[in-house]
Amino acid sequence: MLTPAILAEFAAVVEPGGLITELNQLQTYECDGLTNFREVPGAVLLPRSTEEVQAIVRLCSNYAIPFVARGAGTGLSGGALPAAGGIVISFARMTRILDVDIVNQRVTVEPGVINAHVTAAVAAQGYFYAPDPSSQPVCTIGGNVAENAGGAHCLKYGFTVTHVMGLEVVLPSGELLMLGASTLDAPGYDLAGVFVGSEGTLGVATKIILRIVKRPETVRTLLAAFDSIRHAGKTVSDIIAAGMLPSAVEMMDSLCIQAAEAAVHPKYPVCDALLLVELDGPTAEVEAQMQQVRSICNANSSWEIRVAQSEAERQLIWKGRKATFAAMGRISPNYIVQDGVIPRTALPEVLEEIERMAQAVQLRVANVFHAGDGNLHPLVLYDRSIAGQEDIALDLSYRILHLCVDKGGSITGEHGVGREKQQAMGYMFSEPDLATMQRVRIAFDPAGIANPDKLFPRTKLCGEKTGPYTPHPLEVAGVAEFF
Amino acid sequence: MNFSPAHRAALAALVGEEFVRDDAVCVHVAPADVTQLAAILRYADAHALTVMPLGGGTKIGWGNPVQPALVLALHRMNAVREHAWQDMTCTVQAGCTWAAMQRALAQHGQCVALDALWPEQATVGGVIATNDSDVLRLKYGGLRDLIIGMTVVLADGTIAKSGGKVVKNVAGYDLHKLMTGAFGTLGVIAEVNFRLHPIERSLQTWSIKTSDAFALDKPLRALLDSQLAPVSAQVRCNPREAVLDVRLASLDEQKHSQQLALESIAGGISLALADDGVWGERQRLAGDGGVSDSERAVLKISLPHDELCNFLARVQHIPPEISAQAVAQSHGLLLLALVGTENALARILRTLRTEVTELGGSLFVQAMPAALRESIDAWGDAPATITLMCEIKKQFDPNRTLNPGRFVGGI
Repeated sequence: MLTPAILAEFAAVVEPGGLITELNQLQTYECDGLTNFREVPGAVLLPRSTEEVQAIVRLCSNYAIPFVARGAGTGLSGGALPAAGGIVISFARMTRILDVDIVNQRVTVEPGVINAHVTAAVAAQGYFYAPDPSSQPVCTIGGNVAENAGGAHCLKYGFTVTHVMGLEVVLPSGELLMLGASTLDAPGYDLAGVFVGSEGTLGVATKIILRIVKRPETVRTLLAAFDSIRHAGKTVSDIIAAGMLPSAVEMMDSLCIQAAEAAVHPKYPVCDALLLVELDGPTAEVEAQMQQVRSICNANSSWEIRVAQSEAERQLIWKGRKATFAAMGRISPNYIVQDGVIPRTALPEVLEEIERMAQAVQLRVANVFHAGDGNLHPLVLYDRSIAGQEDIALDLSYRILHLCVDKGGSITGEHGVGREKQQAMGYMFSEPDLATMQRVRIAFDPAGIANPDKLFPRTKLCGEKTGPYTPHPLEVAGVAEFF
Repeated sequence: MNFSPAHRAALAALVGEEFVRDDAVCVHVAPADVTQLAAILRYADAHALTVMPLGGGTKIGWGNPVQPALVLALHRMNAVREHAWQDMTCTVQAGCTWAAMQRALAQHGQCVALDALWPEQATVGGVIATNDSDVLRLKYGGLRDLIIGMTVVLADGTIAKSGGKVVKNVAGYDLHKLMTGAFGTLGVIAEVNFRLHPIERSLQTWSIKTSDAFALDKPLRALLDSQLAPVSAQVRCNPREAVLDVRLASLDEQKHSQQLALESIAGGISLALADDGVWGERQRLAGDGGVSDSERAVLKISLPHDELCNFLARVQHIPPEISAQAVAQSHGLLLLALVGTENALARILRTLRTEVTELGGSLFVQAMPAALRESIDAWGDAPATITLMCEIKKQFDPNRTLNPGRFVGGI
């Protein structure tokens, strides 16, 4: 419980203005990018330094107060959703780039640094920071670390975890530790590897050492229009089978093209399946591969192929793609974004099955996906004002995730489990799998105060087919109950 | 060892008489599958029998010495279970040798893009447990970036899976990252899912050769700052010679421009086409080369890139009572092979460890004379994370059944 006395202690460890307790201000923090889950936090702390974060977490530890770290709040799985009566540690004031080391290809940042600002800091020297979630102009590295954020270019360059060398972390006990190092293979367990993507359940990162990458000599972006998803999907398989590793392969269906056009006018061809292929590397290699991609597209009946002729044109193509989620508002009052992954080759059959499932409940599903790695973003479109439709839409979105698992895939490729997909975790993993993950959790956070009630499944929701129930450590400890 | 006939009989009942074998100091048990593996561990854990998992045994001397009651031999679990070549993933049992796996994958022109030591004997499980990697790491990353899922058996017999069979997946904790490089102290790896890459074609190697390793500092920096996108880059050195090897994916039409770019990078130092054999240097140095184990040490050193050539130049000037040869990958991992008397080796190991630590790197002793193991820890001082690591060990293996004492800080 956040008593006035405890709040006074929190106020004492941060600079003036670093504690928010006014209800109207707290409401800013009640949800992240997944707005259908809301909980007003008991207080919000705005630390300016590692020491302040440490002091805050120590107080949380002393009084068993749950905490969640928050960057820009762009997460799509409710990862930054506060716990009832808990606090939010916002990193809005820890936004410094601490060190740029071009020779060693490292940048050290505070967690509140915006993703795109890392690239901006090294672009003049010809480098970039590769993970590029669509929200990169606003999302923060701290949040990227928590969710192990991906993006369109992780097909070639890997995920956030590929680019995190080490992190300074405040453990839930308040202890400060460096996990990993700026050099490779420091002796010990790969604690940095397990921390990245742990969704804030193992502690709070206060400093992150990132790896940056030399900008390729040439980047070429191609758009190809197809009459069917099946042909576009076959094209992707053929490109991969030819031994190429494009930096990105994205696909959009007609609903997404329509929405993107309405929102940002990327001038996409009007078609049933649009493929976006980006190649980068040494010029001669890229040009040779681009020829190959063109002929593979032709062989699969693409009726229009465009290669961006300028950087501006390329940016416009990407703008349309990255605006797709937000653009859904143009064609539907409400929508749910999902994040399933399937083996790439299962793409056509899964999409057909999704279409059948959608028709059965008379809803539309728009599909935009990272086709190269099989990461689907089905957008379930619905109208909240129609009684009962939201529940039907939610149920459909979860059944789509189950379908992904049934096909040998995953419930989340880059958005994280958070609050949203807790139940689906029980569908994907068995009880021993989850219990083993809990062992890691307990080693880091025995009291269960770091972003509790996320990631692991809890009670069964009505109508949902879930796996075995794993009690939350707080519940086991008698600290909390679920109803 | 506390090994009674009753234990032997119980294990024989689990796997069959023919798969339990005694030697002078311990008992070897070879499970056929993950269920038997779990049953053996459950039994051992309940009866306080310490266990050492064993693959090909190529790196069994790495880490601090362990005297297990039971050796868990994984050679029967050696199948490539699935090669979904169109999805570019595979599932392999831990006892499969690295080379056998790569041969199976090569049928579709694919590979796990990592070059392991002694691939004909080394197994998938052993390569992962020791976090081995070599020259392909520059382009493809290490095991952490190539493993997409794993089945692991904990000391109490719990069979747990993490990750999956898809390349992109953020569901749950990545237990497989925790198991990678854990030297079998948290669980026994049973099965692994890898992401695959096409086997590189049309590769070309160049060498920039000089006598002083420090002279290669500028070329190496220029190479890494270039847009040539090298597949591999390493510096080999001995007291007389230092060579920067560069390997590029090279189409015929690129060769000329690549040659020119490398000449400019070499900055006047001699540049020539080289044979692919140079990339076997690490394995050559890691082997005994006919030298007695009591006279050699092999170190894995990790350094910031910008310190590599400086450090190699320092290695070139190690006093002549020790013969020193090194190969450094441009990503910062360096293998140093030393030959000399026990005393001389002990002195240089201590000195180098201090120097490397001061440079912000780390030093792991892969091999050293048995007599030195008493006084020199293979890992060096326990890092600040030791309490947390011990807590993880306690959660995964509370009875210290698996490889006790082998890992960092006595874990």
